[in-house]
Parts: sequence; structure tokens; C-alpha cells
Amino acid sequence: MALAFDEFGRPFIILREQDQKTRLRGIDAQKANIAAGKAVARILRSSLGPKGMDKMLQGPDGDVTITNDGATILEQMDVDNQIAKLMVELSRSQDYEIGDGTTGVVVMAGALLEQAERQLDRGIHPIRIAEGYEMASRVAVEHLERISQKFEFDVNNYEPLVQTCMTTLSSKIVNRCKRSLAEIAVKAVLAVADLERRDVNLDLIKVEGKVGGNLEDTELIYGILVDKDMSHPQMPKQIEDAHIAILTCPFEPPKPKTKHKVDIDTVEKFETLRKQEQQYFDEMVQKCKDVGATLVICQWGFDDEANHLLMHRNLPAVRWVGGVELELIAIATGGRIVPRFQELTPEKLGKAGMVREKSFGTTKERMLYIEHCANSKAVTIFIRGGNKMMIEETKRSIHDALCVARNLIRNKSIVFGGGAAEIACSLAVDAAADKYPGVEQYAIRAFAEALDSVPMALAENSGLQPIETLSAVKSQQLKENIPFYGIDCNDVGTNDMREQNVFETLIGKQQQILLATQVVKMILKIDDVISNSEY
Amino acid sequence: MASMMQPQIILLKEGTDTSQGKAQLLSNINAVTAVGDVLRTTLGPRGMDKLIHDDKGSVTISNDGATIMKLLDIVHPAAKILVDIAKSQDSEVGDGTTTVVLLAAEFLKEAKPFVEDGVHSQNLIRSYRTASTLAIEKVKELAVSIEGKSVEEKKGMLAKCAATTLSSKLIGGEKEFFATMVVDAVMAIGDDDRLNLIGIKKVPGGNMRDSFLVDGVAFKKTFSYAGFEQQPKKFLNPKILLLNIELELKSEKENAEIRLSDPSQYQSIVDAEWNIIYDKLDKCVESGAKVVLSRLAIGDLATQYFADRDIFCAGRVAEEDLNRVAAAAGGTVQTSVNNIIPEVLGTCEIFEEKQVGGERFNIFSGCPSGRTATIVLRGGADQFIEEAERSLHDAIMIVRRAVKNSTVVPGGGAIDMEVSKYLRQHSRTIAGKSQLFINSYAKALEVIPRQLCDNAGFDATDVLNKLRQKHAMQSGEGASYGVDINTGGIADSYANFVWEPAVVKINAINAATEAACLILSVDETVKNPKSESAQGDAAAGAMGRGRGGGRGRGMRRR
Repeated sequence: MALAFDEFGRPFIILREQDQKTRLRGIDAQKANIAAGKAVARILRSSLGPKGMDKMLQGPDGDVTITNDGATILEQMDVDNQIAKLMVELSRSQDYEIGDGTTGVVVMAGALLEQAERQLDRGIHPIRIAEGYEMASRVAVEHLERISQKFEFDVNNYEPLVQTCMTTLSSKIVNRCKRSLAEIAVKAVLAVADLERRDVNLDLIKVEGKVGGNLEDTELIYGILVDKDMSHPQMPKQIEDAHIAILTCPFEPPKPKTKHKVDIDTVEKFETLRKQEQQYFDEMVQKCKDVGATLVICQWGFDDEANHLLMHRNLPAVRWVGGVELELIAIATGGRIVPRFQELTPEKLGKAGMVREKSFGTTKERMLYIEHCANSKAVTIFIRGGNKMMIEETKRSIHDALCVARNLIRNKSIVFGGGAAEIACSLAVDAAADKYPGVEQYAIRAFAEALDSVPMALAENSGLQPIETLSAVKSQQLKENIPFYGIDCNDVGTNDMREQNVFETLIGKQQQILLATQVVKMILKIDDVISNSEY
Repeated sequence: MASMMQPQIILLKEGTDTSQGKAQLLSNINAVTAVGDVLRTTLGPRGMDKLIHDDKGSVTISNDGATIMKLLDIVHPAAKILVDIAKSQDSEVGDGTTTVVLLAAEFLKEAKPFVEDGVHSQNLIRSYRTASTLAIEKVKELAVSIEGKSVEEKKGMLAKCAATTLSSKLIGGEKEFFATMVVDAVMAIGDDDRLNLIGIKKVPGGNMRDSFLVDGVAFKKTFSYAGFEQQPKKFLNPKILLLNIELELKSEKENAEIRLSDPSQYQSIVDAEWNIIYDKLDKCVESGAKVVLSRLAIGDLATQYFADRDIFCAGRVAEEDLNRVAAAAGGTVQTSVNNIIPEVLGTCEIFEEKQVGGERFNIFSGCPSGRTATIVLRGGADQFIEEAERSLHDAIMIVRRAVKNSTVVPGGGAIDMEVSKYLRQHSRTIAGKSQLFINSYAKALEVIPRQLCDNAGFDATDVLNKLRQKHAMQSGEGASYGVDINTGGIADSYANFVWEPAVVKINAINAATEAACLILSVDETVKNPKSESAQGDAAAGAMGRGRGGGRGRGMRRR
């Protein structure tokens, strides 16, 4: 890459390692960037909607992921191109903020880029396109607000929430039992939700999966599930009304942190030391017994001797429980984490109505259920499925459903899915376009056209005639002035999304439009790409 | 034969490359112009961004002149001067970095024909210096003071300045939103000259309108141990204890070793260690603090201990965040838990842990001293937020500058046109060569409006002529006319609130003139050979240029 030449035609060396750098500028840079962005969108396009297909991705270590979730697909693809990376981040931020609609946002951005390319060919300045898009996005977001509907629900009447979650799940591989999964997700969210503050801490919902069984066996446990078993096979498998001591200290003789050395020079001393150790174990177990614990859950391991002693004293115990799980157990059972045996008091014990060990199928694997906890603010969704990939995908789908339910608790407004909201926005934006003087008008129209691409992709993926279907729905919406008509993906016979109960959250949709516009603006604004040639 | 030969005089080390004379001067000017051309397209509200990969493969998308110059990794000695002036403009004023580079390049470009015609560069330099003094005086004269206005009015004016800066950036679409935010942030920290009191936190996700300003401190939840979730997450008027010690069970002395001869003493050692940490924790609790922050780790033991006593704690808080909390809440960072007196504890109205996007944030708001502000930036992609941060930094600097030297000038190229007109008029009164040079300096100033038009895709010549006509009006009413970026015509920048602090322009003119004069005064470059044997292609290329650059004295170096 040479920036300038002297009078003899030799290049100046202005930049370090100048000849190893390449530079792409002006319209070429924009075209190249748009092409990269579109390529990413094209990959995801076929995953959109209830009839969308899944992608199989093989990681560098040979691990296989099968998914339909936009954010996951892009994450695993490991793209190298910078513009493509922006698209990946786009879907990731939708994932962080909303948790659902990660495919839609990328398809939307791709469509905007495609339209922008056309406008560029017309000779419109890229920034004016971007500004037009921004104006249009504002119109669209306002329109969404207008056509949105609020629905009421409370702890007992959660049907609307289930319906919305079902819309999300219907595009996933698990749509076979979307009803039950949606119910599980909604119940889980309601269990941990703080309805007054409208806040849901999703950390309190643990999603566990185990290979085996059917998807239908997936259950919601009002309590905690730990993938551990009792430390000794002969310990009782079921404890009712358990008082749980939650420890972060090992059943081992205490060790000072400072470097230390015990000089033993006589047999007596050795004997005392051994006795002392035994005494420690004895004291520890006794301590637990004294405060009334009927179950010990420990973050660390036990000495075999301690284990034996615990068994002997009839004090069931679980060892090597991870810190996060330990914390969840503490929250669920209302106990306190105790760092030292000396600190054990009866008040610090957690309480659970039922703790049981359950084995699965013919395998020896067991899991520990802690149920009927004092404080049911922590729940576990336990997923069963035929294979690991299925479980992983179910986890992701459940995550999406949880996020949707959470968003609804935050903001009760919904819009209609199946492309209905997009079509309504497209109409609104198109109508608004004429009010803007100047070049931006064209960009606004282009935005309206780009909005059509989501229903178009939905129709395409469902095996319908995209253009025919879209125009039919569009005219229907315009004629009757009702924004509920969408694409009838499942061939139910009606395209009234109210009847089909296809809902999406308002904030999710708004976020999609705003984020896509933002990233497209960023891509359009770049007119100079300077890179090392190996990239 | 040997006796006949003149002994060769070798002055410089082998491989040294020198070039000198007029050709050298011209080649320097060419190089600078080339660099200026790279930056050219980023100017103004319709300016474009650059995407730059660096050696490590990380990528920056930016519109900020100084950032681009830094990332370009320029090695050409003359062109490097441009990098320096961009940097100095950045650290001095914070904005106008593109302007300064463009001006410098343009001054040199105008000087080039004169140099080619054999004008002595010192003559040029002298005239340029005079011109710059005159220009700066004119800018000062034209500047409008915003002093003496009420706080509300002043805020509005400052917001206008911030909006002008932001309009050229990626977040230009939301400039009013961010401009108010920046002004509020700057007003919050008062006259204190500590910019690090304004924190900018970046949280990917969300859209930029979700960004918000905290009148206090906010930082990301730190790494926490089990038990953390059981701590209360919201306090009203809590006492805040700031520490710089570890609250962990660990060996007190690194190299100490305990030798026990009597095993029964074992327990006492263990107890002693536990007592040390419990003692520390007790003291923290006794102080009455409800929020304990430490720059170093707060271990699991301490976390659970505090959780038991309904105290919130966060370990490994970044130093700058801790300092900000100290400044905001009015506390002092303690290096010991002994003798905690109430004065060292800070306080704030509300402390809360809040979910922001995918992260949880600790937010201290309503702090008594009110000397800090934190902007939490949201955006769709990392690159986006990075660029937004740079833009906000510019805006913050501008507002700070405007607060201090509260004079503004109309932007949009209006001030440049006016100064240019003034210099042209002035040059007519000079007899001698200087007239030409000052005239060309005046012409160079027109690069700003011209480039604004070019970037927006307008006919620059047309717009410039309209502007010249306005500015030439005797009444002086056209003095604040600049490029109207929306319609492609001209408009009164002052009335349209396109304002810049005068100090930006003054500094830009000064720095650009200095740089131009510096480059003009160089007539010889001596380039030492690379110290290592690794003389790559770059060195070979440099040699090539050196040879082309004409060496007058024919000294042989081989």
C-alpha cells in the first residue's frame, strides 16, 4: 500500500511495514463490508421461524453443536472478518439484553445492508442512508409502541405468558413439547420473580440436563438438584425434614496457612498427634450433630476416616459441591454458609422438606434432589433428552423462553409475531417516508422494504410463496387497518396472529430494530479499511 | 597510485542515509500531504470512519483524528510531526484533531509551489507566523463569550458545543441525548481538574439510548465467592468502608515458618491465624460500615462473615473505581482496619446492585460531595462502544474547555472563512513577498469548509463561493455563515447552534502553523542505519528514497 510517490515514482515509506499493508477505500470498502455482513445474514436466514432449519457446527475439538439459536450459531462459527464480527456482536448483544430474537436481528441487519447497497448504487451518500435509517427506526419503534397490547397476568393466571413463551419455543427443535416446556419456564420465572420490583434474577434458576429419558420427562423442581451423591453408599437415601449444615471447610484436621513443621521426635508425640487428629474428626462430627444437622453439604472433600465416622454417627453427607451450587442451596434452604465448625449454630442450618437421592435408568448415576425448601426462591429445571446435543439445544431454548418470560414481567407489552409487527412497521415507515424532504426519504423507503424481509424469510422457510403471501398479508393489514395479520407459518388456516396466539415481547422487537440500525450505521460509515495483508 | 588518491572523508557511519536541499523539503511536503489525505474524509458530520487492523490483529473503527494517526503507525520522520500535533491537540483540547492535521497539510501544500519557485523557506515561515498571530487575534475578536449567563442558560450553550463535536461521530444521531449527559457529567465534577472523576463504563448490549448517567460511581460486580448472593443488595445512606488490604485467611508472613515440637500446640496456631482474620473482620463490622470495598481480594470466609451480618462487600475493585468512590462518598482508602474513625467512612444516598444488560453493576448514587459522575454506555457491539467512548471523551474535553474559557465561535467552517477573508484583506496592505504568502495561508484555511462539502458530497466550489460572498459583505452580518450540511447550501452557523469553543480553533491554528513551519525549516534529513542487522524491505525502500532525494555535495558513502 503506497500513499504517495516522489518525483521519480518511488513510494514514500510513511507507515511501518507499509508494503505489507493493504488499503481498501471509498465505495469499494463499503461494498466489501456490506457483502461480508450480508453473507452472515444469509447463513442465518434459513433458521428463522417455526419452520426454520438448524445448523450443525463442529468445533475445533470435534465437539458438535446443533442449534437454531442465532447467537449460538454465530458464536461457534468463529468468523474472522471484522464486519462479520460486528454482526456476531450484534446478535450477542440482543442475547444479553433480551435473550430472544437473535436470529431476527441479524436477518434484519442483513436486509438493511442489502437495501443500503442499492441506495449506494444510486449515488446516495452512505451517511445520509444511515441517517435515513435512523429516522425510520424511530418511526418504527414508535409505531410498535402504538400497536402493542398490554396484557394482564398474575401468579395464578399465567396463560398469556405461556403463550408468548410458546411462540419462542415453536421455532426450536423442542417444539414437540413446547406447551409443557413453556409452562415450566413460566412457572420457574414466576417462582423467582420479584413482581413488585419487576425484577427477575435468572441466576436463581438453575438449568440441569442429563442424558437419558424423554424430553417429556423434563421437570421443574422447586428446589435444587445437585449432580452428586451421598459420600458413603450406605448412608440413607432419603431424608425428610432435613436440617442442612452448609460447610466450606473440609472434614480434615485444620492446617495453618503459614508454612509449618511439626517436629516429632518421640513415639509419644506421634501418638498424641494421631489421637489429636482422631479427636478433630470426632469433634467435627459431634459439632454438626450437636446443632441438630441431619445432612452435611460440604464444598470440599472428607478424609476417609471422617466419612466412616459420619456414616457411623448416622449423619449423611455430600462432598465436593461447587461454590455456585452451594450458594444456591444456601439461598433455597435459608441457611448460611459456614466457614468453620466453631461457627456452626442451629440458626445457620438450612431447612428442606425432603432430600432424596434418585438414580436414573440402568446407569449408576444418581442425583440429589433438595426439595420443599424453606425459601423456594431457587428452582431447577431438569432437562432429559435422548442425546447430549439435544439437551444442550433444549437448554438454549429454555434460556430463550426464560428470557421472554422475564421481559414480560419487566414490561407487559406485547406485539404480534409471525412477521405481523414487521409488516405493520413497514407500512408505517413507508407512509412516513413521504413527509421527509431530502435524500433521506429514499433511505426511509429502503428501510420499510428491509422490514419486509423478516416476514419474507418466514414465508420462504415455511415453504410458502414469499412475495405472494407477503403482499396478500400486507394488503389485508392495510385494508382492515389491523396490525394482527402475519404469516401463517404452520398452515393453520388463519393469519390472524391473535387467534394463533403468536406473541412477541415489545421490548424485544424494539431492541431488534434499534440494534440492527445501529450496527448498519457503523458499517456504512466505514470508508477506509487498512489492514495487514494477511488478514 | 595510492599516493595520488585523495583520502576519502567519512563523516557518517556506513549505511547512513542523508538527503538534503529543496528536493528533500518537497518530498517532506509530499509525505505530509499524503497523510493528510488519509484523514481528510473523516472531517465533519458527514465524515467517514476508518477501520484499522493493528499488528496484533485487533481492530479499531474510529473517526477520531488522533486515534487514527496513532494507529497508522507512521514512520516517515516528517509525517510523524503530524502525529505529534494531533496528539497534542488531543491532550490540550481533546477535539479538533482532524482539523489540525488537515490544516497543517494544507499550509504545506500551499507552500509547495513557492518552494518550487525557489522562495527561501525562512521567508515563508516568517509570513506564516505573522499570519497565524493575526488569525488567532481575529478568532479571539470574533469569539462570543457565554460568561455571565445563568447556570441553565450556560448548560444549554455547553450542550450545543458538545452536540457540535458529537455530530461528526457515530453517535451523532443521538447527539442531543449525549450532549446533555456530558454537560451534566462535567457540571457534576465542578471546577476540579481531575478528569478521571468522570468514569465511562462500557456494557455491550442494549441500544445507545439505554446509556445513562449516574451521579456517583458505578462499576461492574467484581468476582465474588459463595455467600455473596446472601448479602443485601440495596442500602439507603450506608456507611462505606474503603480498604486496601486482603481480607482472606492466608499466611501473614510469606517466608515465615512455624516449628512445633509439641503437637498439642497445633490447635493454638490454627486458632491464632483464624483470630487474625476474625479480628480484622470484626473491626470492619464495628466501624458501622454497611458496604465494604477493597482493592485486594475479599475471600470466601469474609464474604460469608459479612453476609451473616448483612453487610455488602466487593473485593478486587479496580483502583480507579475505588478512588472515585472515595472522592464521591467522601471516604478515605484505608490500608489497615485498626482505628477506623467515622471520618474515614464515606456515604451515599443509595447503594444498589443493579442488572445492566448481561452484567450486574454496583451503583452508588446521590453522593454528598457530588464530585463524580459515571456514564454507563450501551451499544450493539464492542467496537461501537469503544468509538462511542472516544467520542464522549472528545465531547467531555470540549465542554470542560468551554467551561473554562467560556468563548465560542461559530463552527461549520464559518470561522475559518471569516479568518481567511480577514487575512486576505490584510495581505493587500502589505508590500512585498509576504503578501503572497499570507494570501496562500488564507487560502489554506478554506480547506475546512471545502472538505466539509466534499465529504457530504456537495459541490465545494459552489458552496465556497456562496460563503465568500456572504463573508465579503461589508456589514459583517455574513460573518457567521458556514456550510449547511443538511441542504448543501449555506446557513448561519451561530443561529443554528453549531458552536465550537474558541480555544479549539486557536490551538488548532497554532499547532498546525508550528508544524508547517517546522517542516518547512528542515532542509536535511540524516537517517542512521538501523541498529540491528535486520534491514528489511523498509530500509531498502528508505535508501531508494534517499538516493532520489538529491544529494548536492556528492559525498560518497559506501
